[in-house]
Amino acid sequence: MTTLSLVNDSLRAHAPEPAWSMRVRRRGYQRMLVVSSQINYYYFWEKRWFFISMLIGYTLLNIPPPEGLSHEGMVVLAMSIVATILFITEPVPLPTVALLIIVGQIFLLGISSTEVARSLMTDSVLFIMGSLMLAVAVVKQKLDKRIAWLIIRFTGTKTVNICFGISVVSGLLASFIGEHTVAAMMLPVGVTLITLTSDDPKQVRNLAAVLLFSICYGASVAGIGTPSGGARNAIMIGYWKEFFYDPTNPETNKFLIDYVTWMIYAYPMFLIQLPLVTVILLWTFKPEVTVLGRAAAKLRQEILLQGPMRPSDWVSIILFAGILYSWVFISSDVGMGTIAILGAAVFLIAGLVRWEDLNSGVNWGVVLLYAAAISLGVQMQQTGAAEWIAENFLSILEPIGADSGVGLWAAVSVLTTAVTNTMSNGAAVAVLGPIVLKLATVAGESPIILGFVTSISSAFAYLTVVGTPACTIVYASGYLKTTDFLKVGWRMMIMSICIMLASASVYWPLIES
Amino acid sequence: MPFKSNTKSTLELDKELRAFRKTRFRLLICIDGSDESYEGLKLASKLGRNHDVDIVLLYVRPIDQGLRSGGLQLRVVRENMLEWGLELPGIKYLKKGLDILIGEKGMAADWTEKSTHTDVWGDPMGDNKIEYRHDTGRSIVMKLKTAPDPASGILDQYELGPYNLIVMGEPSRWRGELMSFWNAGVVQKVAMLSLCSVMVARKRENVEGHLICTDGSENSLDSVRRQAVLAQYLESPITLLCVTPLKEDLDKIKYTVEKTRLSLEKSGISIKETRAIVGDPVEKITEIGADFAVIAVSDSGKSSMKRFILGSVAFNVMGKAKTSVLNAR
Repeated sequence: MTTLSLVNDSLRAHAPEPAWSMRVRRRGYQRMLVVSSQINYYYFWEKRWFFISMLIGYTLLNIPPPEGLSHEGMVVLAMSIVATILFITEPVPLPTVALLIIVGQIFLLGISSTEVARSLMTDSVLFIMGSLMLAVAVVKQKLDKRIAWLIIRFTGTKTVNICFGISVVSGLLASFIGEHTVAAMMLPVGVTLITLTSDDPKQVRNLAAVLLFSICYGASVAGIGTPSGGARNAIMIGYWKEFFYDPTNPETNKFLIDYVTWMIYAYPMFLIQLPLVTVILLWTFKPEVTVLGRAAAKLRQEILLQGPMRPSDWVSIILFAGILYSWVFISSDVGMGTIAILGAAVFLIAGLVRWEDLNSGVNWGVVLLYAAAISLGVQMQQTGAAEWIAENFLSILEPIGADSGVGLWAAVSVLTTAVTNTMSNGAAVAVLGPIVLKLATVAGESPIILGFVTSISSAFAYLTVVGTPACTIVYASGYLKTTDFLKVGWRMMIMSICIMLASASVYWPLIES
Repeated sequence: MPFKSNTKSTLELDKELRAFRKTRFRLLICIDGSDESYEGLKLASKLGRNHDVDIVLLYVRPIDQGLRSGGLQLRVVRENMLEWGLELPGIKYLKKGLDILIGEKGMAADWTEKSTHTDVWGDPMGDNKIEYRHDTGRSIVMKLKTAPDPASGILDQYELGPYNLIVMGEPSRWRGELMSFWNAGVVQKVAMLSLCSVMVARKRENVEGHLICTDGSENSLDSVRRQAVLAQYLESPITLLCVTPLKEDLDKIKYTVEKTRLSLEKSGISIKETRAIVGDPVEKITEIGADFAVIAVSDSGKSSMKRFILGSVAFNVMGKAKTSVLNAR
């Protein structure tokens, strides 16, 4: 701009006064230059998926709804498609999608803001919030060294046994407190064993892969075991209750799935998968070192330096046992979310964790995101959008004979696995849940079995780093490559899908009847 | 108006710092822990012997996505790892890089150390920097940067201070012009968008020498001169190469290569060999370049749009070559 005006001024000194129109044009041109220099064109390129999704949404809202779908249903369908594109491509921070869903419900569906706000907070959301706070509280107790010591004490120093031990402990813990908590606690154990074996990561690449995957896959397969194993389980329980439970009809009581019932359905599946994780890992990666004697001895030394258990350690163990007890035995009456937030409150009252730690350790955007996704899911069911999608999905499956029984379960499982590998598994269940449950009603299948198939399949995101929280956390150690996840993930996926289909066709119908 | 004067002085300081930096040869070496990235560092360490060279070792860590780790922030994991006395991956890679630069001796007493921390992107881990400054003015910086993705982190770092050269390890993927427009890898994105020269380092043993490619244009002549000075400094034998797709142009390019050789020799740079050949430029340069430690090409200042329409030899050589490529701008 400066150069331009200088040139202009120097010219003016020798030229007669220009006409007013020239002045206006010159000013206009200068202003245009200023404006265009301030527009960041790259912004539009960077956010291209946002604009593309908005365009798709706008188009969908302006075409007449297809037969069998109401206008409201079309609006919810458009919102879900836009939200899914934004979830996968992430042109804007993910919590923004949650905010847009809330605003969309008010402006596009005409629901009052109070009602939308009410639909955001459910027991599932309280549970997600509480369990995240509990996760930080548990990690902060620094019991990980003691756990590591226990593992080594039981398994000895053979690599195979240690890997299995890590999977078992990670799995058992993760089945109750969620995979992210366990991955955060166990990651230092794995990395310590690797660094104590060799300083050069290249010499122990396979060992690192086996140890770290034992943690993340051990925790991932366990997340299905109990309702508190992951947000997706709590979301599915919420959907069953919301869509099928009618207090006036005692026959619908079976849709109130409590903690113990869930465990009866899913825990055996986790226990069967556990030893297979170690087998698959050792088959894929052959560890360079078969005995971790040196590393184990050093680890033992470090743990001895910590001294005996302190009273605060015992208090946190007792508190945790209390929370587990309440989840198992009284959550069906008061809700899982209530117990989770009560647990977090007790940890704070006991002074075992600081609020500042909880505040900075939890990503509150997740809570918002799940709340909005669940609220959209409920709208999908209420407006008939879920039913319309379910009917159309079924008509696609019909010609290939996958419209009922094992075929339908496999189709739902593959669909969920595909979606969950691209976005967080909780969000996948929140979006797919209503559709799948409607699918079950339309196809005359059991909503409970198809619900379990969806919820459990969403844990099969073994292929990508972002698929499950445990994978993301373990990847942050820097020892694994993205290709490692593909190398071992497909084997894990086939194993899990086979075991789940076997459970769905043999074991679950037995419980249902 | 204290606020105004404050702003002014910061701006002035920034201007002074930038002016000072322009007098030095500044290298930005991007490290991701791979062998190839250390290969570039080894080459750069030969340059680093000079007092006028500043080296910045950069590791870019993605911003913590608590959403991806199920709502539990990765910082909880990191803090836990630090409490176990374990080093985070970025710090480990940077320290290894520093070891390669300073050798076995370690930092001598005449280096002063200064650490800085800046909060960025709302991420408490933020940017961390350790600067080692020698009495002679030479400096080595280890920088752990936080950015939404590595490419934007590297380009952001370039914006922070003028650099003469960005060194990166071999890319795992290199897409065609059309695909790169849509979804380019880190190295390709930086190569596309950076304003300064870029070097893509590849691990290659038992090869030496610089293969400097020219197309005879004014722009290319200037960059050939700069590349030759660099090669001379590295004590690497220089071979000049000019490739034309048209047979009838052979005499013309022979003349161009000879002219360039004479002009360089006049400035005291010795040329080992000159070659003028007919063929597809990208194929020939890649093929002949395989026997050299570095292929030096020049981008002739094409914008990304021009590159997209006309194609760029330099750019394609960067992706296809089997040895390190230095793209001068």
